[in-house]
Amino acid sequence: MTKARQQLTSWMIMLPGIALFAFFLWIPLVQSVRMSFYRTRNVELIEFVGFDNYVSIFGRQEFQQALLNTFMYTFWSLLIGFVVPIFLALVIGETVRSRGFFRTAAYLPNILPGLAAMILWRAFWSAETTGVINIMLGHLGFEPMTFLTEANWVIPIIVVVSTWRGAGATALIYMAGLAGVNPELYEAATIDGAGVMKRVRHITLPAIFNLGSTLLILQIIAVFQIMYEPLVLTRGGPDNASMSLMLLMWQYAFGGNMDFGRASAVAVITACILLCFTALYSFVNRRRTEWD
Amino acid sequence: MKIKKSAPPRTGIIRDYDSRKLSVKIALVVVYVFCVCIVLVSLFPIYWVLMAGFKDLREFMNSTSIHPSVFEFARYTRTWTQLGIMRNYLNSFYVIAGSVFFALVVNGLLAYGLAILKPKGHGIVNKMVVLSLLIPATIALVPLFINIMNMNMGGFFTPLWLAAGANAFYVIVFRQFFLSLPPSLIDAGRIDGCSQLAIFSKIVMPLSKPICVVVTIFTVNGVWSDFLLPYLVLGVGRWQTVMVRLFVFSTQQTINHDDLMRAVVFSMIPPIILFFIFQKKLTENIVTVGIKG
Repeated sequence: MTKARQQLTSWMIMLPGIALFAFFLWIPLVQSVRMSFYRTRNVELIEFVGFDNYVSIFGRQEFQQALLNTFMYTFWSLLIGFVVPIFLALVIGETVRSRGFFRTAAYLPNILPGLAAMILWRAFWSAETTGVINIMLGHLGFEPMTFLTEANWVIPIIVVVSTWRGAGATALIYMAGLAGVNPELYEAATIDGAGVMKRVRHITLPAIFNLGSTLLILQIIAVFQIMYEPLVLTRGGPDNASMSLMLLMWQYAFGGNMDFGRASAVAVITACILLCFTALYSFVNRRRTEWD
Repeated sequence: MKIKKSAPPRTGIIRDYDSRKLSVKIALVVVYVFCVCIVLVSLFPIYWVLMAGFKDLREFMNSTSIHPSVFEFARYTRTWTQLGIMRNYLNSFYVIAGSVFFALVVNGLLAYGLAILKPKGHGIVNKMVVLSLLIPATIALVPLFINIMNMNMGGFFTPLWLAAGANAFYVIVFRQFFLSLPPSLIDAGRIDGCSQLAIFSKIVMPLSKPICVVVTIFTVNGVWSDFLLPYLVLGVGRWQTVMVRLFVFSTQQTINHDDLMRAVVFSMIPPIILFFIFQKKLTENIVTVGIKG
């Protein structure tokens, strides 16, 4: 009897948390899937239309563009965003004096509100002659450029800006990983005649390989959801050149049309792609624990 | 004889015995040059916006100099009063206070159930919480917004407060910490006849101060910076937080760019203060907490 009562009070204690999770995550997720199969008017579900929403968005130019762009964001963030934190960790890790200061400075952009940072960078990349990057180019003798309205430039620029914000935090994780390398390995390698570059190549980089592969997939998952950066910097423009899947979802739902059915279809497709990445992540993680 | 202050020994890839070689000496100089560049790249935009805030609209639109022609602090105070940012600040603090409460109590209680009470069937809840971490919350945004509106909860802070109580990441962090607590202390509470809630509030939480501090810092910073759900919930009403205000302000067709830059500065001040107070905690815990991505 008392045992059953204890079980009951235990569940009562967990109930507020479970209720909030259900309200804020679990139920909306299910609704999102359901809604993607309906034609909607404002907030009402009008009729079940099967896969019509999916078929219609796949035929739309802006969706094809957004899908392609999202992969382009991922590609550029692998090219830029993955390497920079490793480089930061290696370089800052080799300093002795003022290392704490370098670490703090590299991490500082991360604590700024993302929205504020994006507005700030919008002024930097401004096409006017008073845009900060254009001023710098002017000093170097170049003509002012129109960065955020160039279809080919806009995605790399957004990736550079998000790297500026995020790299310091990732670098701290790499630094912790590097601190775990046994110092005797370096000494032994030196005795065997390995120079500095050889030590980096044969000891340091292999040591952070596992950490790197985990962070790589986490980064892909994060970049795939990119939304407010292009929303603030370019609103998806020019001509959808920086439109991402999540931003398209936002535009369909809250951009004036209240097209919640299509928005949900985009969300579900994005979730499916993300689940594939997540499966890959848990696969890599399992392989890693098998090795250790 | 002057004693040269010696640097601590090098423990990284490059060692003291290397530094005799010329190529390594050059490499070390290059390392420091890179570090200075990193600092410049990190800090220059923040410095720039601070300076840009001192310019008036004409100077902001025309001048190519980083520094303003005059340092007139009144321009900041004028924007502050004209836009009535004080009210947005207060709103943000209200949201933060409620969110911290829910983040600590509701997530803490759930983790307490999952880690210590473990009633029959708790494993399923645990799995669902871990799964929630893997699925981005933005995907649930549209139906969540509709539900909030249907329940007439829009326009005030309540949904934002409650949302802090459904953070999978904090539940997992709390759970890990609770699992590491010595079971003997909890058993002692049971023997003394404490109720399950009393064990939570009198034994578990006081022992978990370090993790509570971390969750609090992350909640404060996260809630201060968040604007998507707050924008949908609070709209253009009088309860706008600083970030919602900034977002609405930045999307207007006609804006005074100098005012916008000052608003950006206002929105950056509290996180920077928080950062310098808890700098050590943040940079240490990013390693355990930051894997989230």
